[in-house]
Amino acid sequence: MKWLELFQVAGATLVAAVLITVLYSLGVRLTAIAGDSRTEQPGWVRPLSYACFGLCGLAVLAGLYLIIPYFSK
Amino acid sequence: MVALVIALALFFDFTNGFHDTANAMATPIATGAIKPRTAVALAAVLNLVGAFLSTEVAKTVSGGIIREGSDGIQITPDIIFAGLMGAILWNMITWLKGLPSSSSHALFGGLIGAAIAGIGLHSVNFTSVLQKVLLPAVFAPVIAALVAYICTRLAYALTARHDPETGNKLTQKRGGFRTGQIFTSSLVALAHGTNDAQKTMGIITLVLIAAGSQAPGTGPQLWVIAACALAIAIGTYSGGWRIIRTMGSGLTEVKPAQGFAAETSTAAAILASSHLGFALSTTHVASGSVIGSGMGRRGTTVRWGTAGKIVIGWLFTLPAAGIVGALTALLVHTGTVGFIIAAVAGTAAVVYMFVASRKSHVGSHNAVEVEEAGQAIRFAKKKAAAVSRGNKSKGGRK
Repeated sequence: MKWLELFQVAGATLVAAVLITVLYSLGVRLTAIAGDSRTEQPGWVRPLSYACFGLCGLAVLAGLYLIIPYFSK
Repeated sequence: MVALVIALALFFDFTNGFHDTANAMATPIATGAIKPRTAVALAAVLNLVGAFLSTEVAKTVSGGIIREGSDGIQITPDIIFAGLMGAILWNMITWLKGLPSSSSHALFGGLIGAAIAGIGLHSVNFTSVLQKVLLPAVFAPVIAALVAYICTRLAYALTARHDPETGNKLTQKRGGFRTGQIFTSSLVALAHGTNDAQKTMGIITLVLIAAGSQAPGTGPQLWVIAACALAIAIGTYSGGWRIIRTMGSGLTEVKPAQGFAAETSTAAAILASSHLGFALSTTHVASGSVIGSGMGRRGTTVRWGTAGKIVIGWLFTLPAAGIVGALTALLVHTGTVGFIIAAVAGTAAVVYMFVASRKSHVGSHNAVEVEEAGQAIRFAKKKAAAVSRGNKSKGGRK
């Protein structure tokens, strides 16, 4: 029984999914804050939300890079 | 015979496509992130691309489950024909019932049944079956559900907004997740293409090698890759609406943040498993994710009745496809007449199920389901047009 591989897959799934969800959620939240009209927001909120989305996209691309054999070999 | 088996394999690929559209596209359709037509088109294109991206898996498709090669047991086109018959029929039945069941399990079940009936019990490597098919089937939904649960909780916790003074809830503004869903569901579709189109490529290559028209140990030829990619893309585009309904609104009501979490978990699990070599079924993972995300959001109920039906469907997949495969193998074994009977009976069954699918579930019934899904989203006005369009296209399909 390949328990090691099972745990590897479970761990990799957890790490990748949590990373992407956290980054994206932060992006969503920061966008929401930046969109609040009632209060003044510091100038860095919106750029930071873009940075979150950008990092999220990078994480996905890095994953794809690992998976497509054409690149990783 | 060889041409017929290849045609049958491509048809299996087609059923695989429309059976599994739901895995990628059910949740974005349910939340209104993508219009149904656009969603299946997107999934089809990504499946096509995915099929070309990686062909590493194709060589090892039946890998060790049926003892082949030097031990003296030769898989003949007859056996593969019988196995495919079992797989296709089971795919059609589960589609008719709207159950998301694993196409790979159907294929393995059919092949195992056919091998037992056609060659004998000793032809199947049961340790390998346990390791490669049964245990992953248990763990895949569990892992996916757990990860999706955690992700859903995180997504909601991170985006929960309260007024710092009064403690009242502010507008949550989680609309961004809907946009995110487009990307995550695309990723699932791509992962599906890299995974599932491979199986048919492997089967066709196996037949070609068995027939002596391809050297053993070589990879799939280009026309095989192209044909399989096309078949799965066309199947995906034709859309398994019944299964989309089960996955999108039958298990739990999906909201964008949940859908995002579920799809991210599905994509991560499939890609991780295909990269690390512990094969998980796309369908098992996707169903597990949807259930997990349903448990993760407060105020959502998971319809355990539907979930139970799906699990029972999974339990039956291997034996049912195996029995059909075995019966077909026995028929084919009797000679040309038996072969013709098997082919005609199989075609008749597929046509019958197709006709039956047209009869039941006319328009109004599915309209309710989709409206329910439409109400689950907040921007009802903007999406009303999309939903009504979706109803129309759904009605036309049935």
